[in-house]
Amino acid sequence: MENSEHYILFTLAGTTYAVRSGEVQQMDMVEQITPVPNAPPSVEGVVFLRGQVIPAINLRVRFGFPKAPYDLQTRLIVVRRESRVVGLIVDTARDFVMIPAATIQPPPEGIAALSGRYLAGIATVGERLVLILDIAEVINPADIMTTAPESAQIQEEREDEKRR
Amino acid sequence: MSPAPPEDSLMNSFLDDYFAECDEHLTAVRRNILALEASPGGDRADKGLLDELFRSFHTIKGLSGMVGIKDAERLAHQIESYLGILRSRRAPVTPAGVNTVIAAVNVLEQVIAARRENRPPPTIVTVLEELTALTAVAERSGGREQHEAPPAPATAPPGTAPAPSPALPAAAPPPAPDSPAPASSATTPTPAPPATAPPPPTLKEEELALLAEARSRGEGLWWCEFVPSRELAARNINVNVIRGRIEERGRLIHAAPRVLPSGGIAFEFLAAMKAGDAPPAAWREDGVACRRYVPEAPPLAAAPETETAAPSAPSATAAPAGSPPAAGEEKAAAAATPAGLAPSHIVRVDLSRLDELMRLVGEMVISRARLEEGLRRLEGEAAAARLHPLQETNLAMERQLRDLREAVMRIRLVPVGEIFNRMQFVVRDAARENRKEVRLQLLGQETEIDKLIVERMMDPLLHLVRNAVSHGLEDPEERRARGKDPAGTLTLRAGTAGDLVVMEVEDDGRGLDLEGIAAQARRQQLLKEGESIDEKNVLEILCAPGFSTRAAADLTSGRGVGLAVVRDAVTELGGSLDIVSRPGLGTRFVIRLPLTLAIADALIVAAGDQIYAVPQALVQEVIEISPDRVSVMENNELLPYRGGVLPLVHLRRLFRLTGGESRQLHGLVIGVGLSAVAVAVDRIVGRREIVVRAISDPLLQVPGVSGATELGDGRVVLILDAAGLRSGKR
Repeated sequence: MENSEHYILFTLAGTTYAVRSGEVQQMDMVEQITPVPNAPPSVEGVVFLRGQVIPAINLRVRFGFPKAPYDLQTRLIVVRRESRVVGLIVDTARDFVMIPAATIQPPPEGIAALSGRYLAGIATVGERLVLILDIAEVINPADIMTTAPESAQIQEEREDEKRR
Repeated sequence: MSPAPPEDSLMNSFLDDYFAECDEHLTAVRRNILALEASPGGDRADKGLLDELFRSFHTIKGLSGMVGIKDAERLAHQIESYLGILRSRRAPVTPAGVNTVIAAVNVLEQVIAARRENRPPPTIVTVLEELTALTAVAERSGGREQHEAPPAPATAPPGTAPAPSPALPAAAPPPAPDSPAPASSATTPTPAPPATAPPPPTLKEEELALLAEARSRGEGLWWCEFVPSRELAARNINVNVIRGRIEERGRLIHAAPRVLPSGGIAFEFLAAMKAGDAPPAAWREDGVACRRYVPEAPPLAAAPETETAAPSAPSATAAPAGSPPAAGEEKAAAAATPAGLAPSHIVRVDLSRLDELMRLVGEMVISRARLEEGLRRLEGEAAAARLHPLQETNLAMERQLRDLREAVMRIRLVPVGEIFNRMQFVVRDAARENRKEVRLQLLGQETEIDKLIVERMMDPLLHLVRNAVSHGLEDPEERRARGKDPAGTLTLRAGTAGDLVVMEVEDDGRGLDLEGIAAQARRQQLLKEGESIDEKNVLEILCAPGFSTRAAADLTSGRGVGLAVVRDAVTELGGSLDIVSRPGLGTRFVIRLPLTLAIADALIVAAGDQIYAVPQALVQEVIEISPDRVSVMENNELLPYRGGVLPLVHLRRLFRLTGGESRQLHGLVIGVGLSAVAVAVDRIVGRREIVVRAISDPLLQVPGVSGATELGDGRVVLILDAAGLRSGKR
């Protein structure tokens, strides 16, 4: 029991990720996201959370997976880090597990190319391999704004430019 | 939006008045009960306080009867009866008596609140029985005299009673349920048992038959009283007109004149109206006071005092300005208007009316901007000498409009004392429940804040205050053992700092047990091993979902319970909550709120499948765009406008919007002179007053968006910003 923490597990494009439950403020169904024009591609839009306007980040886009339409499983995981509150859109989130600190390994260098930068570690829960996220990096605004992949939106803009 | 109660809208607006008025009286009641408790008990209790309390309950009783809230009427009646005995010195003021009155007031409040929120009312039986028993005991203890004897002389010791009070009219009229005027029962203190009292004796047999018939049909029964006056007669309003009006709306069961104690005359009507129908509130302005007729209600007790007090107080409300004072009649008219009992120098206004006023001011601001534009075009055409005075007037108007806007905003401000006074009562109650001794200190009560904020802060403050008393402050014994004053001090403080209003709830109790909280937080994985707890993160932990377990509540002296609710209410209003704890010395909660809510008029526009709000102040004009008049020059679209051209910015393109019907027929002219642009939108949806919320996250700092609001459906609507839109022209 000592040295273990509660995590919330969610999946994204078939991969299982974990966030420390202490960093999760709440979980919601995804509804009524208002798009924000000219925001970084992974910022899907804004939602009201107890009177506060918070950004909702599409983690698929953030991690470079293709976008998927929302369904009943889609969840908004609201994380709080210092004074910032940010919503993360994930494919599905269900499990609440305890992961002993001793079983968490540093992320292997090989996967650093994809989401490696946002990983705090890797652990095995039951049969599953779980990637533990470093939330501070996931919601790091400078990173979100500069490392945006070549998205459909930007291509659209190019075409727009050509038309003129 | 809560579902509308079954009554019609007239009844609802009447109820709104009722709730507001009850609030006022209950506020006074709370203040006076506290004062009464602090004043010497027994026979030396402050007569003035008792009188005021008595009058408050009398009014609440009358009002409750008018809106047909029978439970409230009965409770108020019973409290009034008891107070009637106390104030005539027929029984001493006792702590037990005061406690029972307080309990009854709490139930009374709940009854009224239940009606307001369309909830089932609490039972009043227990407290009513207590009160009745109390009244009976008081009656016996002071029952040296035979009160049942007809026109008994005043029972108060000679010299203490004000001269006019025992002066009962020789021919006391039958008690009319709606009028505070007729006096009879204050000196015949029979606590009339409810539900068995006969209907007013003035009803004849055939009238009773009609009454029964109407009730069997489920019709509403209304008791109306018309008091004629010269002023009304001048407007051709007389008893026949009123009778006609009543007959138009329903069937007349009973009509009779009666002589008022003041010598004037009044006409009583009892009418049956269709269920759900009600006499229009506007009748009141024509000297007609109506209330629901409740046959089984006990005849209402009225004090002689009310009779003499009522006519003098409300003349300002009852008499339209400019009408000559027609002594007797006018007083009678005033007496028949229960609403007139409110202090005459205060006007109660619905917040929505202020919003409307603000909207009108906004329209004037736009008109003036147009005027200025017109003047500018005249420059060069008209002689400067003739133009000058106009320009000066224009500038003066601008200043005046700004002042006007500010003045309207100020109307929304109310002193924070309005909530603080209420807290006195809460503290007193909580102290009694928890067997604590508490000294309440109120500072900065005159600080003014927005009415809406006052309303929303009521519950959070209530919560903090209760918690401070029940958990923050120690027992008297424990305090003594620690060398503290056995009575704890609870301080409520309000003040302004810049654009913020700061409210503090501070106790000198034991403070937060940070170590205990940290240990619990670690057990619940809310705090990492090695992470420490301090004032900055303790609030977050206390508010964390799941932390408010029972164990945690005990551990943290209950601070966790509901604290999240307090914080949410504060952040929702754009404020912040902080906690300062000194172990062994006390805890202080600091609430910072905006002085007024940032409210702005805005145009709501649609572009693509999105809705946006544009602050009205930014928009010079809304124009129509006919596509054939738009010319393209080097990638710029230009629109002829008042002799010049305006660059045209398409919101759809600027924001890369899709969907919706692309019509782009409307343009918002934003900015003036060379920096002006026309922003093309698909549709103008309407004009609304919006509450501006800041967008603070760095990810959301995008050009063209200055904030967010919501229009009632929970969805975020972005507020456009002028500078960002202007820079959007390419």
